[in-house]
Amino acid sequence: MSLLTSFIPSLVRTPAPTAENQPADLAHAVKPVYEIKETPDAFGVTVFLPGVAKQGLEITAEESQIRVVGRRDWTQPEAWTALHRESVTGPFELVLAHDNVVDAEKVAAELRDGVLRISLPKHEAAKPRKIVVG
Amino acid sequence: MRLIRYSYPAFRNASPSLGNFRYSPWAGLESEIDRLFQATLSGVDAATSSSRFPIDLFEDKTNTYVRAELPGVNRDDIKVEVVDGYLTISAVRKAASVAASAGQTADATPPEASAFSRAVSIAEDTVAEKVSATYENGVLTVTLPKREEAKPKKVAVAIT
Repeated sequence: MSLLTSFIPSLVRTPAPTAENQPADLAHAVKPVYEIKETPDAFGVTVFLPGVAKQGLEITAEESQIRVVGRRDWTQPEAWTALHRESVTGPFELVLAHDNVVDAEKVAAELRDGVLRISLPKHEAAKPRKIVVG
Repeated sequence: MRLIRYSYPAFRNASPSLGNFRYSPWAGLESEIDRLFQATLSGVDAATSSSRFPIDLFEDKTNTYVRAELPGVNRDDIKVEVVDGYLTISAVRKAASVAASAGQTADATPPEASAFSRAVSIAEDTVAEKVSATYENGVLTVTLPKREEAKPKKVAVAIT
């Protein structure tokens, strides 16, 4: 078996997320536009989530990843007929892997006018340290 | 997408070593290809990062609605105008820019202090004076009321 999987690695790979192995409403999630900046102390993430209000926002800090799920606040009223659509109504989902450099306890987030700003402070151990040569 | 900067794959993973079957000899190559695809495709769905922001048009019996996705724009920086049968929405995003510091990872970079403008042709029966707009959660909704249908006129003609 190990010989076989060594030639055909796809046999042991975890399958890509599909409609079956994801929560029903996240099957059609879109990746939002986002930006990451880095300072010596922290990462700053800016995510564009138009139409997402505070109650529809979900930020989860897991072992080695930060997950942002934004569900839109607005639904199309029954009486409205769509003449032309460019935006999508599905939820937003963004998963950032960070290999435990981020201190999950101190994550702070702010949502304003459809823009989410998350600050992800680095662990003390991950920060650069000056070593004095004695 | 990873927050940590890309590190070159270990030599052991990149080159097939026949003696060690615990790891796939191609594991390094495979993750390299995944990374290349991720880097290339990450900007594909970035509709709002271009200067063309998405617009939706809706209609009901009394109004036409235009919804524009403009996250992170101050209300004062949005201008909505009706001129010659066109509705023009222009906006300036004065984001405290972040992209400047060197060596950072930015996958789909939202533009800094960028101006957007789009024009939509609107129906002739719109009452331009009564157009109203609201901005909520980064979405602008413009309501364009329709003129009341010209009522059938009944004229009594006196016969003399």
